Amino acid sequence: MDQAAILDHQFRVAAYVVTWVIQLSYVAWLGLKWRAQKRAAERAGLLDVPGKSSAPSRR
Amino acid sequence: MKKLAIGVYVLVTLALLGWGYYQAIYVAPNDAMQGEIFRIIYYHVPSASVAFVFFAVSLTGSIGYLASRREHHDRAQIFDAWALAGAEVGVVFCTVVLTTGPIWGRRAWGIWWTWDARLTTTLVLWLIYMSYLLLRRFAAGPQMQTFAAVLGIFGALDVPIVYMSNRWWRTQHPAPVFGGAQGSGMDPSMVGALMWNMLAWFAWGVLILALRYRVERQHQQIAAAEAHAALNA
Repeated sequence: MDQAAILDHQFRVAAYVVTWVIQLSYVAWLGLKWRAQKRAAERAGLLDVPGKSSAPSRR
Repeated sequence: MKKLAIGVYVLVTLALLGWGYYQAIYVAPNDAMQGEIFRIIYYHVPSASVAFVFFAVSLTGSIGYLASRREHHDRAQIFDAWALAGAEVGVVFCTVVLTTGPIWGRRAWGIWWTWDARLTTTLVLWLIYMSYLLLRRFAAGPQMQTFAAVLGIFGALDVPIVYMSNRWWRTQHPAPVFGGAQGSGMDPSMVGALMWNMLAWFAWGVLILALRYRVERQHQQIAAAEAHAALNA
């Protein structure tokens, strides 16, 4: 493999890696946001969580 | 049943992405002029296409919001959620375009960046939608969604300019491969790889667009519940 082909390969790999890093970082951020919101929804009584009642306590 | 359908869709999308990668690396031949670096096209062009489609989703959502905000509050909120989801996921794909492009350009042209018509209009598009997202993130009050919708419509006006830029002005960026002048096009041995990657990235984009929409709808419901609770306190 000549030097130009090695550089082409490295740049191609870099472009593919950057694409996946951007996409997966966004999905990870979205997942964290979703989880945080799910907790907020539970607090607001919008979601019924198994084992927890969203109804007000009688005490 | 819904969970099963989502699971199947995720699996099909991942399989498509794997198949697209296989096509791009092992099936499509090296370009005669550019060699292996040309294979960046299989991620770069589909990302640009998906970004354009999602900015169109944002445009539709913005118009729908402005049209229905006075009389159909619930419908307006749905449109607004689509507008935000389209803009945000579009920005993600546009970011991919603006990073893979310079990597390709460095090897093909010897420079990372130039103020060429296609590159500049794409950067302007990205900046408009980034300002849209910043507006949504930091502005408050009832007018925020209206301002954002107007900005979303203005932003979408740049999409046809980006698309036509390398037809109207011949500068550094290559002429269009598809729908260009006579003699443009791609070798048939490469078209399959490009189409598979187009399909795969579109399926992936729809998946994260739907997730972003779902998150935004939940956010709207929480905000409405909190506002209701505050009024009743």
